[in-house]
Amino acid sequence: MNHGLKALTVGLALSVSSAFAGSGTTADHIEAATAAYKQVAKETGYQWTVTVKAIKAAQKALDAGDDQAARKLAHEAMDLVEATRTQAKLESENWKMRVPK
Amino acid sequence: MKTIIRNVAFGLLGLSVSAAVVAGPAEDRAAFQKFYENRFPDTPVKDFQNGVYSILPSAREQWEEIEEFPPYELAIERGEEIYNKTFANGKSLASCFGDDGAVRGQYPNWDKDRGMVVTMELAINECLEANGEKPLKYKKGAMADVSAYMSYNSRGQKVNVEIPSDDPRALAAYEMGKEQFYTKRGQLNFACADCHMHTAGMMYRADTTSPAFGHATSWPVFRSKWQAMGTLHRRFAGCHNNIRANPYKAQGEEYRNLEYFVTYMSNDLEYNGPAARK
Repeated sequence: MNHGLKALTVGLALSVSSAFAGSGTTADHIEAATAAYKQVAKETGYQWTVTVKAIKAAQKALDAGDDQAARKLAHEAMDLVEATRTQAKLESENWKMRVPK
Repeated sequence: MKTIIRNVAFGLLGLSVSAAVVAGPAEDRAAFQKFYENRFPDTPVKDFQNGVYSILPSAREQWEEIEEFPPYELAIERGEEIYNKTFANGKSLASCFGDDGAVRGQYPNWDKDRGMVVTMELAINECLEANGEKPLKYKKGAMADVSAYMSYNSRGQKVNVEIPSDDPRALAAYEMGKEQFYTKRGQLNFACADCHMHTAGMMYRADTTSPAFGHATSWPVFRSKWQAMGTLHRRFAGCHNNIRANPYKAQGEEYRNLEYFVTYMSNDLEYNGPAARK
């Protein structure tokens, strides 16, 4: 991955996280991460097991009354969703370079 | 000047990549097999059907000892019972696949009427359902047992998967399987090809990765890690879990097409399942 692409990926993840961190209840954040996960899965077919784990852990923390931990996990899940989206975008072309000639 | 050289280099790279992508299945297979022959020049081509043991002499010795008292023997016996069990309608799996079920060499195949890849395990369940019986779960248990019995009776059959040129849907299914094989997935960002082609024979923690050439010949397997039998689609799902990608459904379109591609790449080797693996 070149530096431009890295910067774009990090920038995208940060912008999503910071916009996401600003408002709404923690339950809203978990719901948004879940919706984003499902949308990326539907659009690209890419799903990471760790994203589901982070969403479940966020819900569990919220249910246990630990709002801060739940919010952090919801944001982690959203970052993973964005990384999944980036992987799908890159791989839509990059896989061809691995085919032996 | 540097810019011109760079542009020409990228242009050439683009052309060669494009050539690889537009190559037909036969060209793909020739390049695929050549890759492994170059990478493992000491391995006779026929021996790639023995998985990692074809490239790892130290482990091969232990494996050959295991094969003297094979851990899949009981599965073959259980599979034979299931195979010959009479259905409620008086028929049996033998009614679909013949007396001994030695049909592994006919799968996976392209079903032109339905426009889909049919694997042997899918055909087993279709036979059961067509006769009013309950289908089996695809990854392990009774399905792996009956598959072991049928594979055992099919030993020595040539892998001869065909991609019919008169049906573009078959080529599309093959291409989908090919893309699956070379595409990175999961948080660990691995493609099948990363472990089983480009770094085949190298160590990942304590394990050496096996070459994908020959991968499809030996199923189902008794895997020491599972302490049980498992089908090829169980292994596909396990690999996807390892790289932290959600696995696809066993016998769903994605894995059937992946099996179509991987098996086609091993054409001309022999089916030698069931087998023992680490």
